[in-house]
Amino acid sequence: MAQIINIKKIGEGITNSAKSIKGCYALLHYSFKHISMLYTAPIRTVLYKQMYFTGIEALSKMTIIGTLIGLVIITQVTNLVGSNAELTGKILAWTVVRELGPLLAAIIIIARSGTAIASELGSMKVNKEMENLRVMGIDPMDYLLIPRIFGITLSVFVITFYFQITAVAGGLAITSILKDIPFLQHIKGIFTALSFFEIAVSLLKSLVFGVLISTVSCYQGFNVKSSITEIPQAATRAVMQSLFFVFIFDGIITLISYV
Amino acid sequence: MIKLEEVTTEHLNSLSLEVKEGSACKIIPDSDGERKSLLDTISGLQKPAGGSVFLFGTEIYSIPEKECISFFKRIGVVRASGGTISNIKVWENITLPVWYHLGKKPAEVEGRIIEIFEQLGISTSYLSGYMGKLPGPLPVQEKKIIALVRAMLMEPELMIYDSLFEGMSPEMAKKLTALTENFHAEKPSFQRGCLRTIERMETLKLHSF
Repeated sequence: MAQIINIKKIGEGITNSAKSIKGCYALLHYSFKHISMLYTAPIRTVLYKQMYFTGIEALSKMTIIGTLIGLVIITQVTNLVGSNAELTGKILAWTVVRELGPLLAAIIIIARSGTAIASELGSMKVNKEMENLRVMGIDPMDYLLIPRIFGITLSVFVITFYFQITAVAGGLAITSILKDIPFLQHIKGIFTALSFFEIAVSLLKSLVFGVLISTVSCYQGFNVKSSITEIPQAATRAVMQSLFFVFIFDGIITLISYV
Repeated sequence: MIKLEEVTTEHLNSLSLEVKEGSACKIIPDSDGERKSLLDTISGLQKPAGGSVFLFGTEIYSIPEKECISFFKRIGVVRASGGTISNIKVWENITLPVWYHLGKKPAEVEGRIIEIFEQLGISTSYLSGYMGKLPGPLPVQEKKIIALVRAMLMEPELMIYDSLFEGMSPEMAKKLTALTENFHAEKPSFQRGCLRTIERMETLKLHSF
């Protein structure tokens, strides 16, 4: 029994998690405290590049995945409830806007950008490029951290909204062609099912997820010490911790908003 | 400008030195560890076990890190590894500090960059293909030239050359010597200091000109 439940390992796990949370909080606090650094032109350029990589380059994948998710949900719902436009619209709006939209967009961003950021920052740390920035009089936290935190957060916010529109409109458009379902009637059903509160909660979720993904990924990247073998480990930890925090905060926001 | 008082680290044993305005200090370290330790200590990266490090009259390990970093706006550093940033292109590497600190856009310093490269015998046609590349695959000698041009654009009060000539061909080393000497002499009213670390093999090569 003592071998199965290793108290020491559990203790280490808890200590490491506490250390990670403290580290992430410190990075987040620094970013908000020094947000004015985004007025510096080279930092703004990094912000735009980050938004391009995380947001614009992900658009094609988001369009395909969003449309397919919408198609799958509508097909299953119409199989279940028949051509009840109002109910289909409600279910689609509830699942996609309330839950799946923010969650799936976050998962895609974690897979694309979370790993990329952790490995990029990790390799910069190993190659002593952060020291190179320092001797240029540039604080690596200002130049590398701040634009990544805000770039990813804004991208996740926009991408989530785009994903929801694609899932609803794309899914409905394809199913209405394939299964002879009235497109406009369903759209009307969605608009009656949705309220401003639901959209606001969903966008709040996307903002929180964006902050979580960017902070955790940057923390893992900055936390690499000096060995190249730490880089893939940092990328894996960035993915796992980001997913973990995203699911936890998704649960919390859902509970607060809808229960 | 730089003052070390009895600095002790793993590799340095009670080292004291001072670089004053307009003066040049040449250091020939006994080992690579000694050289790295000295530069890391001056750069605020390695707190010495004993002694004090002063930059422009301020003890850098007694002030917040952000203040310490800001001193490097006034210092041009050419690191032995080149010191480039791998995820931005060569031209971005060269113009980053001048744009960041002085707000000068890359187009504003283009002429000066070409002028420096031409003094090193590097033609504009070569530069046009070279500037758009990421610096990662470039040899360390070219990275050091990038770092030198980048540092010179800032017109710093103090230059630190870390093994600048190491790995350079004798012709390039000669051109670099002329370029840096001119750079330090071009503004006599401006008392630019200089700290240079030189590998033992480099000194032999330089003396063989």
